[in-house]
Amino acid sequence: MTDLLEVNGVTKRFGGLTAVKNASFTLKKGEFTGILGPNGAGKTTLFNILTGFMQPTTGTIHFNGELVRELAPYKVVNRGMARTFQLTRPFVGMNLLENVLVACMSPRASEDKDKEARASYLLGQVGLGGRDKEPVETLPYGDLRRLEIARALATRPDLLLLDEPFAGLGSSEIEQLAQLIRRLHREENLTILLIEHKLREFMALVSRVIAMNFGEIIAVGPPEEIVKNEKVIEAYIGKTEEAHASA
Amino acid sequence: MKRIAPIDIAGGILVVAFLALLPMFAASNYLTGVLTVCVIYGIWASSWDFMSGLTGRENFGHSLFIGAGAYTAGFLSSIWSTNPWVSLPLGVVIAIAFSLLVGFPTLRLRGPYFALAMLSASAILQRLCLIFWEYTGGEEGIYGLDPLMKNPLHYYWFVLAILAVTVIALTLLAQSHWGLLLRAIRGDEATCQAAGINVTFYKIVSLMISAGFAGLGGALYAHYQLQVSPPLFSVVVSITVIIMVYVGGIGSIYGAAVAAILLTLLTEMLRGFGEYRLWIYTLTLMLILFFLPNGLIAPLWRRLTERLR
Repeated sequence: MTDLLEVNGVTKRFGGLTAVKNASFTLKKGEFTGILGPNGAGKTTLFNILTGFMQPTTGTIHFNGELVRELAPYKVVNRGMARTFQLTRPFVGMNLLENVLVACMSPRASEDKDKEARASYLLGQVGLGGRDKEPVETLPYGDLRRLEIARALATRPDLLLLDEPFAGLGSSEIEQLAQLIRRLHREENLTILLIEHKLREFMALVSRVIAMNFGEIIAVGPPEEIVKNEKVIEAYIGKTEEAHASA
Repeated sequence: MKRIAPIDIAGGILVVAFLALLPMFAASNYLTGVLTVCVIYGIWASSWDFMSGLTGRENFGHSLFIGAGAYTAGFLSSIWSTNPWVSLPLGVVIAIAFSLLVGFPTLRLRGPYFALAMLSASAILQRLCLIFWEYTGGEEGIYGLDPLMKNPLHYYWFVLAILAVTVIALTLLAQSHWGLLLRAIRGDEATCQAAGINVTFYKIVSLMISAGFAGLGGALYAHYQLQVSPPLFSVVVSITVIIMVYVGGIGSIYGAAVAAILLTLLTEMLRGFGEYRLWIYTLTLMLILFFLPNGLIAPLWRRLTERLR
């Protein structure tokens, strides 16, 4: 298998604060990887750098063999790397179909001639079928997350980055969303990189974990190894034992 | 995408027919003249609404494009004595050139840069007209443009037809996938980026379209007044246009056009009140904007026709 994403020595400094320190890792095609780490570990910053919303202070990012550093976010998307936001950001005043339609207008989706049909199909794919005309304002959080995923899928990504998709959801919603993500990974041949706090769902989903703390990658490996890694226990699980037990 | 509802088409035809027949009942050149100005303001307001109303990037210097179109007509017709019909396409082209000049560096940025740049660009052009008075005629401007048509009534009908085409074209664009993207940009630029949309490109092209129609309106105005002068570039013109759009209902396009016509008529009808006319006009506007923040014309029309949709 070839490397889809290659991150090399990426560092991001905000004044005196180093949010991401010398991060290097690769993602292979079809892999399901998760980034683990306590709050402020630099996970979302790393996501923003990968997707072009921020520029790294130093370091390079190669996607599909092409250097993506310094590309505008929309260009990164059109190279095949799509993301969702931790805080969902729907277009208010538009219905579900229109929200997905916007992404169907991206150059990468230019082969989808019937935009409406494509958007409607994607809504069905994420479990929002038959609700095309509903306004987004009344949508519960879990459905907004699905809408975000549908919008990302509309750009026909090779790599899907999910920023805390389970945050703020109830346990039944989490279970359904996890099933959806698992199915997309299996059936749509997607490579997925996911950030998550909810340890149990996280460990059940991913096949490889990148653990971060204070901006540094402290361990990489399969979930069953990561949970035994001393550095990880010290940085993450040790500190939030209660949260872990209740998650 | 969405189609224009039959009731809207019927309403549009009715309004245009009414406006076209209005001078027939009271045959006076004065009324025809006032209506011509009303309709030209309609072109300016609806063209502003297309870019700024849909994308939410407020343009505080629409007079830049209006003045550019008008002065293009002035130079061509009066100084270089070209055929007056050349003014219209060239007025459009020059206005679009100005939109690129201001839009290209500022629309890639978020924040107030675009609004401020438009405001200053129009003010700078107004100053330049005074500084280079040997060429522009300074305060007095350029006189002696040739009219496009001899009969004022025919010219009024011609301008009215152009307004109708403008509103129809901009409305169709606004309801297309293109318009959807512009409304999405108004909603959240970061989400648009995440959806793979080149936000800057769409903003610049929509400004070019907006400027083109404003420049056309400017050239039409110049060939009605048969003179152009620096106040065409003034902030007052820009602000007047923005107020018209807000009264019409922002983002509706047809509302902006109707509000422009009604407000221009209102200023004319208030002439009898002499000094008090600005008081009454301003108070009316303040009351409308205070009690109807979504505007008057478009929300009212939607409400009246709710059952027929």
